[in-house]
Amino acid sequence: MASFVPTDPHTLEDQRLYTRARLVEVSCLDCLATVGVKKNSEHHTSIQWSSDALRHCPEFARMAARPEGRDVHEGCPRMVASIEAAVREGKIPIGAEDGY
Amino acid sequence: MSDTRFLDAGTPPERFARGWHCLGLAKDFSDGKPHAVEAFGGKLVVWQDTQGGLNVLDGYCRHMGGDLTQGTVKGDEIACPFHDWRWGGDGKCKAIPYARRVPLRARTQKYPTVVRNGQLLIWHDVENSAPDMDILPPELPGIGTDEYTDWTWEVLDVPGAHCREIIDNVVDMAHFFYIHFAFPTHFKNVFEGQTATQYMNSTGRPDKAGEGYGDENSILKSVATYYGPSYMINWITSEYKGFITEILLINCHVPTSQNSFKLQFGLAVKKPEGVDDATAEYIGKKMTKMFGEGFMQDVHIWLNKAPVQNPLLCEEDGPVYQLRRWYEQFYVDKADVTPEMTDRFEFEVDTTKANEYWRAEVAENLAKKKAEDDAGAGEGADAGTPPIMTGT
Ligand code: FES
Ligand SMILES: [Fe+2]
Repeated sequence: MASFVPTDPHTLEDQRLYTRARLVEVSCLDCLATVGVKKNSEHHTSIQWSSDALRHCPEFARMAARPEGRDVHEGCPRMVASIEAAVREGKIPIGAEDGY
Repeated sequence: MSDTRFLDAGTPPERFARGWHCLGLAKDFSDGKPHAVEAFGGKLVVWQDTQGGLNVLDGYCRHMGGDLTQGTVKGDEIACPFHDWRWGGDGKCKAIPYARRVPLRARTQKYPTVVRNGQLLIWHDVENSAPDMDILPPELPGIGTDEYTDWTWEVLDVPGAHCREIIDNVVDMAHFFYIHFAFPTHFKNVFEGQTATQYMNSTGRPDKAGEGYGDENSILKSVATYYGPSYMINWITSEYKGFITEILLINCHVPTSQNSFKLQFGLAVKKPEGVDDATAEYIGKKMTKMFGEGFMQDVHIWLNKAPVQNPLLCEEDGPVYQLRRWYEQFYVDKADVTPEMTDRFEFEVDTTKANEYWRAEVAENLAKKKAEDDAGAGEGADAGTPPIMTGT
């Protein structure tokens, strides 16, 4: 049940385009995590994690255990490296389609 | 004609968000008097009991609807001004001075309270669930000690906008340039569980330079996290010509109706070494004023914009659809929260092109200004407080 209800059916298609379209699966080279990645440009990266993927990532576990740290973490460096490798191998198309 | 795009205004939810909401600084409620707080489409009464605890109930007496906020604190209870019924912080009627007994059904709406970082938080959930202590905003080390200045606190009324407007700003990279005259160089969002975070590095805009913080020499590093639907902690490091200031900014709001909310913000400055208390307080007050200007710039936009359920985005925009997907979790029953609302999501905005265009725009403005100044047509010193903004 949606809380903010669109009044135009096209809005649902917009939601799908912006949140789910063109996500490419990337597996971490160091752990069992697999995420969905989209790159609208060289410097843009969108990463969709699942709870499964997050559970597999030792980096997040380590950061969460650090007593002094804040409870939100910017990202996993190993996953970033894995995505960069996938880009180099041409596995992730770079570029947006009309803004999404 | 069929290519024309239309705004989908959508329909806002009838309910108010589930989660912790901040009502203000705890000390402002601790004078033994009842306080009225407009919230969730009604009015709440807040008072301190003899143990020092803060209590929050619905503002209207369940007897004949008397306004408890105009009552009196008697012992631990709030006494209604109409017929003196005494209500306890647990929501039960404790005594009716003229009655043989208190009806068993004399229970009113109570809001569980927690004082965190010197601020009063209450739990709101239309399903009346027990307060979730695991998702309280974190305690901030040093707050309430000599290490930091006391919180400043300001309240702004936003009478004509749904509070999702303020949430949307978490992902809005470009508005920092156009509305707040800042220059974002790094911008990233992370949503996970109950939190939504904005990482932003920015400088001032030299073409809008106000004294002190408006210029390029002002570098802000900001991490701003929403803990739940309404309470943001913003860690800011400000660097100005080698002088570093650490600031904690709280930005929170309470919805007052489906189309209005009260925005509150408060700030504490880590006292810099070698700076006396009075100077630190002064920095805190000045920063509050500057952020106040920043918030007012946002308020002006919200009060005039149209609600839009289907924003059209360009490549330089942040993940507003994913942010709203995250925000939905607070407006559905707990049982209806889906994994995609809470799964971790990261989005790094590419600021390179925007920065290139903005640099050109700023250079052009500076050249224009110089030409005007040379012609003696300068409008003189720019009066007023320069704005500063992060997080929102
Ligand atoms: S209405 Fe409150 S005591 Fe009668
Ligand atoms: Fe803003």
